[in-house]
Amino acid sequence: MQRMFMRRTGLAVLLMLAATALTFALVSAAPGNVAALIAERAAGPGADGPMIARIAEELGLNDPLPVRYLRWLGAALTGDFGISLRTGKPMSEEFATRIPKTLALLAGGGVLALLLSLVMGLAGAVSNGGVLDRLLHGVALVGASTPNFFVAAMLTIVFSVMLGWVPTFGVAGFTSWLLPWITIALFPGSVLSRVVRVNLQEAMSRPFATTGFAKGLTRRAVLFREALPNILIPYMTTFGAQFTLMMIGAIVVERVFGLNGIGAFFIEAIRFRDFIGMQAVLLLFVVFFVSVNLIVDIAAMLADPRLRRPRRA
Amino acid sequence: MSTPVYAVENLVIDLYTPTVSVRAVDGASFHVSPGETLAIVGESGSGKTVMTLGPLGLMPEGVAVDLRGTARADGRDILTLSPAELSALRGGFFGVIFQDPMSALNPMLKIGPQLARQAQLYAGLSPEAARKEGVSLLARSGIPDPEDRYDRYPHELSGGMLQRAMIALALAARPRVLIADEPTTALDATVQAQILALIRTIQKEDGIAVVLITHDIGAVSVLADRVIVLYAGQIAEEGSAIDVLTAPVHPYTRGLLASVPDFRSESATGTKEIPGIPPNQAQLMPGCRFADRCDRVLPACHSHRPRLQTIATGEVPHRVACPVVIAAEGIATHD
Amino acid sequence: MKSWPWAILTPALIFVLIGIFAPLLMTHDPTKQDYSAILSPSSWSHWLGTDYLGRDMYSRIIGGARTSLVAMVVVLLAALIIGVVIGSFAGYIGGRTELVLISIIDIALALPSLIIALALIGVFSGEAWSWMSDYWKMIIALTLAWWANYARMSRAVVVAELQQPYIEAARVMGASHMWIFTRHILPHVLGLVVVYASADAGALVLAIATLSFLGLGVAPPTPEWGQMLVDGMSYIEDNPALVIIPGLALTAVVVSFNLLGEAFALQKVPKAVRGGLLRRKKSARAGEETARAATEAKA
Repeated sequence: MQRMFMRRTGLAVLLMLAATALTFALVSAAPGNVAALIAERAAGPGADGPMIARIAEELGLNDPLPVRYLRWLGAALTGDFGISLRTGKPMSEEFATRIPKTLALLAGGGVLALLLSLVMGLAGAVSNGGVLDRLLHGVALVGASTPNFFVAAMLTIVFSVMLGWVPTFGVAGFTSWLLPWITIALFPGSVLSRVVRVNLQEAMSRPFATTGFAKGLTRRAVLFREALPNILIPYMTTFGAQFTLMMIGAIVVERVFGLNGIGAFFIEAIRFRDFIGMQAVLLLFVVFFVSVNLIVDIAAMLADPRLRRPRRA
Repeated sequence: MSTPVYAVENLVIDLYTPTVSVRAVDGASFHVSPGETLAIVGESGSGKTVMTLGPLGLMPEGVAVDLRGTARADGRDILTLSPAELSALRGGFFGVIFQDPMSALNPMLKIGPQLARQAQLYAGLSPEAARKEGVSLLARSGIPDPEDRYDRYPHELSGGMLQRAMIALALAARPRVLIADEPTTALDATVQAQILALIRTIQKEDGIAVVLITHDIGAVSVLADRVIVLYAGQIAEEGSAIDVLTAPVHPYTRGLLASVPDFRSESATGTKEIPGIPPNQAQLMPGCRFADRCDRVLPACHSHRPRLQTIATGEVPHRVACPVVIAAEGIATHD
Repeated sequence: MKSWPWAILTPALIFVLIGIFAPLLMTHDPTKQDYSAILSPSSWSHWLGTDYLGRDMYSRIIGGARTSLVAMVVVLLAALIIGVVIGSFAGYIGGRTELVLISIIDIALALPSLIIALALIGVFSGEAWSWMSDYWKMIIALTLAWWANYARMSRAVVVAELQQPYIEAARVMGASHMWIFTRHILPHVLGLVVVYASADAGALVLAIATLSFLGLGVAPPTPEWGQMLVDGMSYIEDNPALVIIPGLALTAVVVSFNLLGEAFALQKVPKAVRGGLLRRKKSARAGEETARAATEAKA
């Protein structure tokens, strides 16, 4: 068990290094880019060749790629992610103000997706082929097919334009967080509700469920007491995957609702060729995705008694 | 002989899946009394599991079931009960042991709580008392160090120990009828005897009626008072265990016994297998269902369905559904 | 395939047909601006009204179908071919080459595809790539973000097939690698990959629309649903239809491909899902539901 943890963690670190190296190599493929942009920002459009070359030399942009990667990584590990070419502020500062917003978005969305999927999946399983089950299946299908920017737009139309309950733009107070949360929770919630429903169905057809019935439990009791614990592991793994995918939702939602988080910054960085900002955000993304996957892996192992307490041979 | 605690009359069970419909049980009757063991013997697919678990509503999910006849538990016809009433009866009146204890116990839950909860539900015990009861149930099922085993997960125990735990679980609600669906099939040979002995002991102590579903003639000889031989959903032969095992009449019973290497003869030299395969029950034939595989078959067998005839009366009548052998061997009938 | 629900193909087919015959279905030039009819409601000449530049919404929706379809097909085919070639090669050749390729595939799968596509579009925003149009940047970025799944799948199939006894038999009979691969292995790879791709089409349509919505995909004036939607957002209080219509079109298309994916998942239904309990005399439909659910779990 412990060895497995170490192995997984080691692999995750390797994966982070490889993925950041790859993104670094891609983004820095043309070293002229950064120097030219810095020069342009310093001297306006009149920046000339020699000036760009000097900046490139000063920043060590002419060094071999591996050297630059290690230098960049070393700095990043000490909290220095460079200075955004777009905002002119250190990336660490941008991170400090933006990460909490994105995290709040993801956390709220995650909780909502969790609730949504459990309620929908369990209600479907209780109904078991009934009208509600079919209806929820349909809802989940549409929920997993609706683009989140369309969801955001519809919510805005209904709650801001028609009802006037929340502002169309910007975030102020708890209620204004609701629409962004709902928006990013709908897709993972729908997908996860199917995971709950389908795995419950599968568990209900396993022999231990028959034992449950033989014990005299009602279908509902078998569903909740016997089947439900058995969906934990597939649910956790899919939840992890869906949680990371919610970052895409966050990017869209931050733009639609004018939330100045990491996602919005990333899109701006792409549009304004802020390669330093892009690189820093990609590093953050790699760390986020790989560690969420790692945490989910380990949590799933801990949740499985067969792995947690392997049989002594 | 005391009055039966569970009696099934003229049971017909049709199973429907989206693609096929099957008459799994065709007009079978059986009963068990307290303290008695009835063995229902047949090949896989003979309908023995459907016949016993079907009336209890324990059927594979995705299969639609149509039951006719009566099944009286303590005088009440369970085929007419609502799902809620039936489910109350399942835990309390009937206890069930399944074939594979590894998959029949919930892998995500500890063993003790799985049965303590049962004791709690049916005896109305407090959680602490339920734990005590759970431990004592495990101890009674012959599980060593029950305090420790109580907090273990199924994967941490051997198959034999799990089947003991399964028996403890089935007994937790103090059932009147114990249905054991091939309780030893998935276990090692040495463990099988122990499990059978355990069932026997508990039955004697509690006066439980046991229905043993099996294709293991060895288990029948150890445990059974009476035997029903089922072939393709119909009863081929029934009687006391001694009569059926030592003086079988139906060609199928004879074939079945002859195919068992360790029964009666020590060597495997006399072993014969029944040629052919059981019939496809989706396509019903009018005559005897064993006709196609029978070495005593006559043309009439294919067109006339044989009736069960009593060839020996007494406390446990010996009944056989084969007029051919009865006539050929000059066996007297009593009805 | 005898009882396969062919009807499930219909919605996706309608989308494809609209995309193919778009020029015939359009009533106006979807890029033609008409300042005399800005944000007009539905009428006989403009069935779905006009947008903020007076362009005909109906024609833009039809045109958007074509844009999505073309981009989706191009990316899907390219990703599929790259993935199958790399994955099959890795699986067939084995050894160190396979290890290196697997590592690359794993790295590519460490981030969600759309994030990779975004990062690549960011990379392509550099001067060095200015010769490429935004449209092709999107196509290439999506392709590079999308192939890894197909590679992983292909490799898995190849590795599994290579262990089949008949491959050994063919080898003993002196069949060449190329022969074994194209005759025996490739059909299995393509079988799985094409089924997956048909369900993946919806995700890709969504990705194209999302990129365009973020202003990083199909650029105006080419009609594209995501981009139409973001344009409409500015006029959401005047005419919500500008947002709702492209949104519904997009959702309908994604739903139809997801339906296809569910139907394909049903193909792999295990013969019977055994054990458990059914309330007595329940309709036989329940069996289908069980089977369907069991396969969806794996999808």
